[in-house]
Amino acid sequence: MRLLTHNMLSSNIKGVVNGFPLRIEAEKVVEKTVEMNGEFLKKMFEKIDWKAFVDASRAMGPEEADCSMLDSDEFLNRFHHALLELHLEEGALVCPETGRRFPVNKGIPNMLLHEDEDTDGEDSKDGLTDIWKVGVFSVTG
Amino acid sequence: MALEQHEKEKLQKGIAEFYDESSELWENIWGDHMHHGFYDPHSTVSLSDHRVAQIRMIEESLRFANVSEECTKWPNSIVDVGCGIGGSSRYLAKKYGATCVGITLSPVQAQRANDLATAQGLAHKVSFQVADALQQPFPDGHFDMVWSMESGEHMPDKAKFVAELARVAAPGGTIIIVTWCHRDLGPYEDSLQPWEQNLLKRICDSYYLPTWCSTADYVRLLESMSLKDVKSADWSPFVAPFWPAVIRSALTWKGLFSLLRTGLKTIKGALAMPLMIEGFKKDLIKFAVITCRKPE
Repeated sequence: MRLLTHNMLSSNIKGVVNGFPLRIEAEKVVEKTVEMNGEFLKKMFEKIDWKAFVDASRAMGPEEADCSMLDSDEFLNRFHHALLELHLEEGALVCPETGRRFPVNKGIPNMLLHEDEDTDGEDSKDGLTDIWKVGVFSVTG
Repeated sequence: MALEQHEKEKLQKGIAEFYDESSELWENIWGDHMHHGFYDPHSTVSLSDHRVAQIRMIEESLRFANVSEECTKWPNSIVDVGCGIGGSSRYLAKKYGATCVGITLSPVQAQRANDLATAQGLAHKVSFQVADALQQPFPDGHFDMVWSMESGEHMPDKAKFVAELARVAAPGGTIIIVTWCHRDLGPYEDSLQPWEQNLLKRICDSYYLPTWCSTADYVRLLESMSLKDVKSADWSPFVAPFWPAVIRSALTWKGLFSLLRTGLKTIKGALAMPLMIEGFKKDLIKFAVITCRKPE
């Protein structure tokens, strides 16, 4: 998981008001080279939540990005490296309000909620076809 | 009516395992797009046509949703809900120069999707997570385009599914849903006929589909959430040539050996293919496209 991805993930646990950003617990971070694209970086610079990105990059290792001018090559290289080349392979993303850990294994975050975290408990009155009231489509699989 | 939590977890596990098991086989035979192709009706298709038809399905869906051809109006951020091994994500990211994030219940698929993105030099643009489409781990209004290609049929709560699609769509963003539905009910019908319910149930069991609704149900849901420009169409004639082609490929030596090597869930799915054909022929099963826009 790259920091670019981390910058868009949030905790949707029931009752959590602001689940962004998730705190990073890094157990294993690897570096994978990616070709630099200045235009893409400039576009991303405008879109990402900068504070969340800087805090996250500190968690991933000694690299630090700061708000230097975008036309500084040195800045672009460091931004590129932190945003796209550092991968959290093993570790967790932690909900800032509840402390719940979402595991990251082989670079893939698992954001599935547990039973008690799910808002999906009430009947939804959606006016749909009443077919499932017949009870035909219970899951047997 | 939402499923009980234990039923929901059982369904999620079933879906994840089904795709964990069958993903490699599907990819070997059909490539990295895990959705129907868009064909000329009544055509006979062969394996070599399929990838072109799958791309056509994506392009026809974008056209139906009136996504602009002007690059200044292209989406910048896309979410692929039920992304499979990321075929749509990679295609859309390349087409629009956008970032795309995909979610799937299957860790095997997410891993494969990431590997393919890296291999295609798209790893900086697309990423994949294990997440629940009914609880998307994204902030509100994050994506210019919300894409659901043949995943809606797995959702046990259509209202929650649609609500999440709407939530994560940015103001002015486009939502595109391509999914299997059952036929719309007539004005005096409360439910499908018993034989129809029975056929759907047999298909549900094989493919980990929890429930069916109609295209009209989706339209009603989207309109109830104040989404604009809600459009829908029945694309059943354009996908009907697919299933006989799948069966023909399964009956080749390569297909049979591959099938036997995968596992029972996949074999069960394969044996249910004639049921899909029956459903299409009897106008019970519809392949629907539904699109809309979130107000600015």
